[in-house]
Amino acid sequence: MSAYLARRVAYAVLTFFGITIVTFTLIHSVPGDPVTFYIGQSGTHGVPPAILQAIRHEYHLDEPLLAQYGWWLRGVLTLDFGPSVIDHRPAMDRILEKLPNTFVLNFIAFALAALAGIPIGLWSASRSGHVFERGSSVVFFLLYSLPSFWVALLLMEFFAVRHTWFPLFGMTSDDYLLMSTTARIADRLQHMVLPALALTYAQLAFYARFTKAALTEVIHQDFITTARAKGVSGTAVMWRHAFRNALLPLVTLLGLTIPYLLSGSVIIETMFQWDGVGHLYLQSLLSRDYPTVLGLSVVTAVVTLFASVLSDVLYALADPRVRVEGKR
Amino acid sequence: MKLRESGSWREIWKRFRRSAIAMIALVYVVIVALVALFAPVIANTKPLLMRTASGFLFPSAHDFFGEKEGIERLPQGDVVLRAPIPHSPNEIDFNRRLGEPGPNHAFGTDDVGRDVLSRLVHGARVSLTVALLAAAIALLVGSFFGAIAGFYGGWVDWLVSRLIEIVLCFPFLFLVLGIVALFRPSIYTIVIALGITTWTDAARYVRGEIMRIRELEFAHAARASGARDARIIFRHLLPNALAPALVSANFSVAAAILTESALSFLGLGVPLPAPTWGGMLSVAELYIEYAWWLALYPGIAIFTTVAAFNVVGDRFREALDPRG
Repeated sequence: MSAYLARRVAYAVLTFFGITIVTFTLIHSVPGDPVTFYIGQSGTHGVPPAILQAIRHEYHLDEPLLAQYGWWLRGVLTLDFGPSVIDHRPAMDRILEKLPNTFVLNFIAFALAALAGIPIGLWSASRSGHVFERGSSVVFFLLYSLPSFWVALLLMEFFAVRHTWFPLFGMTSDDYLLMSTTARIADRLQHMVLPALALTYAQLAFYARFTKAALTEVIHQDFITTARAKGVSGTAVMWRHAFRNALLPLVTLLGLTIPYLLSGSVIIETMFQWDGVGHLYLQSLLSRDYPTVLGLSVVTAVVTLFASVLSDVLYALADPRVRVEGKR
Repeated sequence: MKLRESGSWREIWKRFRRSAIAMIALVYVVIVALVALFAPVIANTKPLLMRTASGFLFPSAHDFFGEKEGIERLPQGDVVLRAPIPHSPNEIDFNRRLGEPGPNHAFGTDDVGRDVLSRLVHGARVSLTVALLAAAIALLVGSFFGAIAGFYGGWVDWLVSRLIEIVLCFPFLFLVLGIVALFRPSIYTIVIALGITTWTDAARYVRGEIMRIRELEFAHAARASGARDARIIFRHLLPNALAPALVSANFSVAAAILTESALSFLGLGVPLPAPTWGGMLSVAELYIEYAWWLALYPGIAIFTTVAAFNVVGDRFREALDPRG
């Protein structure tokens, strides 16, 4: 196990450097003078050359590209991406203060989707070939094909405009500060319902399909046939043999989900004016706030990397075959 | 070799055809593609056919080769046949802003009085162009990396696997949005951004398939006859490993349509005034309290098209592998 762990972590470190190289290369192949990264979108026009030179020197832009990468990597490793061009506060601070909001929303969406999606997937796989099962797989596919922002739009139209059951956007009401503690919690929860639902539904279809595929694969294996041949009843085969094995790959769901959830956050948080990192990323892109953009790209990629290592390790713990097969 | 190959494609088609849903989806895909192709003659203010002193003219057919900006003077003469939807996608009329669906505008009009149906028809053009090009790039890049990884194995395979891992670490939309925004949104940046972020699926399919067939007799035969590696990979192995990659290409098209519409919705898509389904929905968001038709129809267009591509891909995969 420790050998597997060591190899997985070593790969993760390599991948991390890959991530920094990709990010650095991307940002440096953007046309235009990199000095504008630091002085904002107004550009170099009208700025005295001496000042430009000073900025170049301060941010090491007058050095060779490899040295620039070194400086930048040092910043990444110390979580210092430089000051945001919007309010001159450290970009990392801006990211860190939005991260909890995104986390809360995504965690709820993840939990809801898993709680509903996994049982649906198990149920539909155990009835493989049945009319209902054929129908349900079509429904998953249709859910999968719905654009999330359209679903969000319909949710807004129905629940916030036609019936004013939930607020249209924002994280709190205008009079939030005047409320009692319980009222504040209720207010926050109310604001969370629509964005959380919008994030959930697409995941739900994904989990259901994933679970179903996992179970279907197990059902086709020899030991299930053996159990059936021995005369074990259908339900017992399902519960005692198939389900337990099918649940294994679900451990990897967490690692697979996080990038999807974060991608969804950009759209949903922007639509619902939710004050999280997805919303921040889009705003930073539109205002060309490079330090924040770079910081967020690296932070989200590292979070994803961490989750995928974690779920791989959990998988290896749960299923010894993975450790052995990996050695070949 | 050739005989067996065509036989297996026929087998796949036979199995595919058995599913009614698959055939409905395929027909729908073809219809959307035809609408996209013939958009300029389907929805256009300019008539289809005119009779002038010098003979018959087809004014709207000229738009096949790029629409002209601004108002164009029509030649003098009688209109014989109008376009089925007699409105251009960018024909603005402030007198009929946010008009409800009715006899003149079947799907209503938007905030500056443009015909929604006409914009939908032309939007199909933008969506499919972007999606097909992006899927083609993903298929090319993915097949290449998958093929060399599967053929050589060892450190080449290791390197490609690491590269795939790196790409997958970035939340997909973060990467696409970043590339598109930093390099200025246009059809080309979107296509390239989508292509270089979605090739990983095709690479994995092709890699697995090449690994399976590289030790088969025909591969050995090719090697024995003195063929170089490149020839073995791209002439002998890849054509036989393409079917699973084509399945993933179908899913890529669906994903690309969704992403392109999301980009346009966020204001970082194909630039205005090009009609896009996602862009129409972002207008709908502004008028959500007054104009439901702005939100409904573009959403249905995206949904049905994406679903059709997904269903075709799914049933195609089942037809390839009837066991599972």
